[in-house]
Amino acid sequence: MAYESDTAIGGAHRPFPTTRHSLIQSAAGTGTLAREALDSILAVYWKPAYKHVRIQWRRSNEEAKDLVQGFFAALIEQQILAGFDPSKARFRTYLKGCLDQFVMKQDEHANRLKRGGGASMVCDFEAAEREIAGTPSVEDVFLREWQRQMFALGLEDLRAFCEAGGKTVQHAIFAQYDLADGDRPSYAELSALHGVPVTSVTNYLAWARRELRRLVLLRLSSVTSGDPECQAELRVLFGK
Amino acid sequence: MNKPVVGLIAGAVLGLIDGATAWFTPAVRSEMEGILMGSSVKGMVVGIICGLIARKVHSTAVGLAAGAAFGLLFAYLVAMMPEPDGTHYYVQIMVPGFVLGALTGFLTQRLGTAPASVRESKA
Amino acid sequence: MSFLPDRALDHLRDVTEVPDFSDTRYQLEEEIGRGGMGVVYGAWDTQLERRVALKVMDAGYVINQEAKLLAQLEHPGIAPVYDAGTLPDGRVYYAMRLIQGRRLDEFLRHEPALPARLRLFEKICEAVAFAHNRGVIHCDLKPQNIMVGEFGEVFVVDWGVARAVDAAPLPTAGTPQYMAPEQSSPGRPLDARADIFALGRILRDLMTNPIPRPLAAIARKASAEDPADRFADVQQLAADVGRFLDGLAVMAYRDTVPERLARFWRQNQVLLLLLGTYLAVKLLLYFLAPALK
Repeated sequence: MAYESDTAIGGAHRPFPTTRHSLIQSAAGTGTLAREALDSILAVYWKPAYKHVRIQWRRSNEEAKDLVQGFFAALIEQQILAGFDPSKARFRTYLKGCLDQFVMKQDEHANRLKRGGGASMVCDFEAAEREIAGTPSVEDVFLREWQRQMFALGLEDLRAFCEAGGKTVQHAIFAQYDLADGDRPSYAELSALHGVPVTSVTNYLAWARRELRRLVLLRLSSVTSGDPECQAELRVLFGK
Repeated sequence: MNKPVVGLIAGAVLGLIDGATAWFTPAVRSEMEGILMGSSVKGMVVGIICGLIARKVHSTAVGLAAGAAFGLLFAYLVAMMPEPDGTHYYVQIMVPGFVLGALTGFLTQRLGTAPASVRESKA
Repeated sequence: MSFLPDRALDHLRDVTEVPDFSDTRYQLEEEIGRGGMGVVYGAWDTQLERRVALKVMDAGYVINQEAKLLAQLEHPGIAPVYDAGTLPDGRVYYAMRLIQGRRLDEFLRHEPALPARLRLFEKICEAVAFAHNRGVIHCDLKPQNIMVGEFGEVFVVDWGVARAVDAAPLPTAGTPQYMAPEQSSPGRPLDARADIFALGRILRDLMTNPIPRPLAAIARKASAEDPADRFADVQQLAADVGRFLDGLAVMAYRDTVPERLARFWRQNQVLLLLLGTYLAVKLLLYFLAPALK
């Protein structure tokens, strides 16, 4: 029994986000692509790294700050990224392993100065420190913080996307419902507040969640080596 | 091979063997030919009857019981005929006849092909 | 960027993961399980008014592969595919029969008798053999991917990493404990013996103590490291298990003389008893002949 591609049984579909297979490898190089790649990696991993060093390695906030900055500097200078082999481990696991090794060897490294290398590192360590105060200790801080950072970046991307596309109502409804601190407002309340039908509230929420998923996937694809790793990390990111 | 034929062959062979064991009774050695003939015929008759039963009823227990019963009956009919000197060998003929009858009944149940209708009803 | 608390994070992970079927004929109910490449949900088909299972794939280009493979495998032991489609977020799903039953590993906790377990195993082999006959290997056979229905029916599920015979395996396919060595060799084409390896491991899981030596030998042969040492096909494996169930000699094990004699006795008890009785009677009559005169 033969099937036509993209016909009755499958239909046309939006393809999986294009993964930049060599992005992580390109981060080890120089130039615009390398800078872009490093920015992606730093944006996702600086906070998980900091919290991991603070909570799992029990270092003070100053020590942790130095270690994290030193680690990412070493990442660039010592070509650590060039040693990544996707067939052996996921990038997240590799990075965490390198971080742990770096912390263990901290006493051997005399120089912990922050040095350049082409990547910008705007890290709000004070904010991260405040977050730690409210975070119960977890078995795998790195993993949890990675999940949190992926979604936090996704939310930022969603906000920017909605602003650029004039979808402020959609974003507002999404933020008030799905990001609510305490009790969530009812659909009827949101409908009355924004002057839209209740069915629109349902549709806007569905749309925003779809877009958030898409944007988080896009971020994920920028820090994984290829589709197999991306799919595996997807399960970790969204799964139970 | 159908079941009555299996019964016929098994009965004949077992009857022949049973008859041959009479050689260990010196008093009847002179009658060996007749004993062998009679024992084989007895075995064949019991075998055919067991085969006919096996065509209709597929049950090892029924085969054993029927074979034993008919084996005993025909062995009795043979044992009723006295030897030239007037001796009857009821025990020597009926007991082995009973056991061999059961064996014949068992073999007709296990071997041979049943008719199509019985096979279908079993299926 | 404001801090995302745990509660909000978990909520977002949930709501972005749950697929949106509002534009389809299906009403999502509960999550049933997670397998290779996707999540399975129970759902209500509003058109045909029946419950179905919906498998939503993670993503990807081989999105139709599992559905296409399954649609070609029409067998009582393989859940039929009813429908397939694409969600607004690009994820692909397919609808299939909802199997009411238990996973094999759960079922085995309540089914102690070895013969019943082995008969179940024969049914598993039937389904797998059918797939092999159609040129498809499962590549992820394990107790968690076998369902036992309430009437003892067996279903082999989760064909997410199934491949055509001679295709290279997916890099992340399979479960280590049940994965044939050749499945983790990059670029090495697979054949049906990869599934036979897994079936050997499953057979080992089914065995109860004391483990009969012929059965252990069958399991060992099936899951030999070298494919050349395994059964050539699933039918041979199933036939050997069948022979074991019937009390016959099996291909994978050479009986010792006492074992052969014991088997002969078991298979011919009535016959041997009758012959023994006849001999005993004859001997008795011979020695009692003077008394009987």
